[in-house]
Amino acid sequence: MSADNTMESLLDMFIFETSQNLEQLEKLIIDNEKSSEFTDEAINEIFRIMHTIKGSAAMMMFGDVSSVAHSVEDLFYFIREHSEDHIDCNGVYDLVLESIDFIGDKLDKIKAGSNEEDDVTAITSKISAFLTKLKEKHQGVSQDATNNDTNKIAADKDDFSDGIASQDAGGNRFKVHVLFEEGCQMESIRAFDLVNKIAAFSTNLSCVPNDIMDNDNSVAFIREHGFDVYFNTEKSYDEVNTFFENTMFLRKVDIEEQKENELANNVSKAEVEAEASIVEPSKKQIDVAENVSSSDMHNQAATIINVHVAKLDKLMDLVGEMVISEAMVVQNPDLQGLDLENFKKAARQLHKITTELQDTVMSIRMVPLADIFQKMHRIVRDMGKKLDKEVRLEIIGEETEVDKNIIKHLSDPLVHLMRNSIDHGIEDKEDRAAKNKPQVGTVTLEAKNAGNDVLVIIKDDGKGLDKNKILEKAKKNGILKKEVSEMSDKEIFNLILLPGFSTNDNITEYSGRGVGMDIVVKNIEEVGGSVSVESIEDAGTTITIKIPLTLAIIDGMNIRVGKSTYTLPTISIKESFRPKKEDIVTDFYGNEMIMVRGQCYAVMRLYEIFNVDPDITDLTEGIFIMIEIDDKRACIFADELIGQQDVVVKALSNYIKDVHKIHGVSGCTLLGDGSISLILDPGWFLSRQ
Amino acid sequence: MIKVLIVDDAAFMRMAIRKVLEKNNFEVVGEAENGEVGLEKYKQCSPDIVTMDITMPEMSGIEALKEICKHDSNAKVVMVSAMGQESLVREAILNGAKSFIVKPYKEDHIVQTLNSIAAAG
Repeated sequence: MSADNTMESLLDMFIFETSQNLEQLEKLIIDNEKSSEFTDEAINEIFRIMHTIKGSAAMMMFGDVSSVAHSVEDLFYFIREHSEDHIDCNGVYDLVLESIDFIGDKLDKIKAGSNEEDDVTAITSKISAFLTKLKEKHQGVSQDATNNDTNKIAADKDDFSDGIASQDAGGNRFKVHVLFEEGCQMESIRAFDLVNKIAAFSTNLSCVPNDIMDNDNSVAFIREHGFDVYFNTEKSYDEVNTFFENTMFLRKVDIEEQKENELANNVSKAEVEAEASIVEPSKKQIDVAENVSSSDMHNQAATIINVHVAKLDKLMDLVGEMVISEAMVVQNPDLQGLDLENFKKAARQLHKITTELQDTVMSIRMVPLADIFQKMHRIVRDMGKKLDKEVRLEIIGEETEVDKNIIKHLSDPLVHLMRNSIDHGIEDKEDRAAKNKPQVGTVTLEAKNAGNDVLVIIKDDGKGLDKNKILEKAKKNGILKKEVSEMSDKEIFNLILLPGFSTNDNITEYSGRGVGMDIVVKNIEEVGGSVSVESIEDAGTTITIKIPLTLAIIDGMNIRVGKSTYTLPTISIKESFRPKKEDIVTDFYGNEMIMVRGQCYAVMRLYEIFNVDPDITDLTEGIFIMIEIDDKRACIFADELIGQQDVVVKALSNYIKDVHKIHGVSGCTLLGDGSISLILDPGWFLSRQ
Repeated sequence: MIKVLIVDDAAFMRMAIRKVLEKNNFEVVGEAENGEVGLEKYKQCSPDIVTMDITMPEMSGIEALKEICKHDSNAKVVMVSAMGQESLVREAILNGAKSFIVKPYKEDHIVQTLNSIAAAG
């Protein structure tokens, strides 16, 4: 494996694991905030997560991420050590969330391929200022801390007492001066380790500097000037030499065997210093690691494996190809007219298995909505705080699953709708009180299955939409197409979904920003979904998003126009029919219309829209297909229906989609005979009316 | 080949260490995501050397170190620590850890440390 490859998979793993950690952390903070106090477990967990992120980021040389994580780790280290103090939890929440956002943004940048290091001083200095304040406050609280520490020093230095205390020194006396390798880190611990190992075969041990553990400066001193050890041992010079040769990370070793008369001096000098030395710092720090408890998540790891989405996409593609191949075999033109009973039997069996395989692969790609639903807690929290509104988020049906690719398209619209609900839906505290509503506003986020679709419903108990305001605005922006008197409430409310409409009088930081609901609708329609609005004055607004369960394979109806084949999603087809001559009318402007059961619909000739040569132009000779989405209907005219078939949706290349701005086509598919069929986008036809 | 067990709660770290070790002719015989699993795996695959993270859920690295040394007094455990964990590393050494690596580590540091621990017999 090449070095590049190694780095890449490490980077993937880093991004994956760090994002997971951030999510877990955010959830932890939001959950904790409700109880307004940190539990010991939460503190330990936050510390541990930040510690992990710090370590991984440092390995990947993302210094900025590492230092932010380090600051938070430091903060929680202090909080953990002084959990008895009263701590301003709100301040801590804000700092941690800010750090999460920073690291999350940074991950996005890294994903996009940026290597630039961001300036983190703004955030780290904020955290350290907060920590300093905590420390000052703490010192005010506990004055006796220093006393305790001194006692500890006396108690803890017993570790080397064997060596130091025993004065009946035998063997040879050595003085060894060592210099550690540059960049080997934790020189003081290396010195400690060394002393510890020497103690195993020596007596009368002492060292300079002797406060190797406690004094921060001793690390720098050892790094620069080295470290002296004095000891007595039965070992010979050569043996001692071998010992040091086998010791790691030593740049330079000077071993001196000392004569009797030099001895007294050195021992006494070293020993005096040793009195206050080689000391464990506060015992508390050591207990830290023992206390670390954690979530149950890690236990489940054994039965779950992580698979890269690309592999699942590939698998899905292959199953798709298989579905096509199956059609190619079963509907092979060579078989036409033959009586093949056994073949058909086998083909049915094959079909059963491919269908099952399809369902299984599909189910692997399904992910619960819980992930994006849980993210909404943060939005509610941040906005509630900023706008001074009390809002409760209720989540129902978060276990509902949709295709992985759909989740991607759902996240932004949900955030937008959520913000709208809180910003424009939920009233101010005073208004709610005046209306006799509960002080705390409720936003409900619900998901449920409905046939081949999933419904995501965002409902608030706010003031509802203002019909008159909507109409006024629609009129002003020129998007009103019907007489007001003819419009139902629902139609009026749904005006807000149209491009060029935005009711936000005052654009706030959260919702609005000049971007209207039409962006939400566009996002949802991209995955074949739809949005509808209902509202009751002073009772609230409900926005329903309908999205298909999956995108990859749809049940399609193939239709023919001349030599071209098109596919319509069967679910959007209401009926197909051949009209009588008297049902076809022409309006004042010369537009063709068709009457169906007393309703009038515009005629859409597919061959005109796509500019192809048809076999049939007479409306009574061809076939009409009525499509319907959410009460909106249109009639499409084609030469003939070919038949129903499961089709695998292949995306159009960006070149076709973006450069040529092709409308009305959502993708393409391969048919049983190997020809290509364009998949029509019913939404576009309906919006064209 | 020297057999190594990697104990670390961060999958990223396990992967990073594994890559370094495999490149340098060590055999990674197991991975564990906390001290408890680490102890189990130690009993199962009796590695020559264990790399042990300190801060982990369930059972910390220090606890696992103690347990492993209780089980096998000749166990060779190398602590993987971060800056700022000096006192914990010290505690680990007092409890039988043979050496330590500091994160972020250099590749040759790990290799050198593990090789010399293995050679020490």
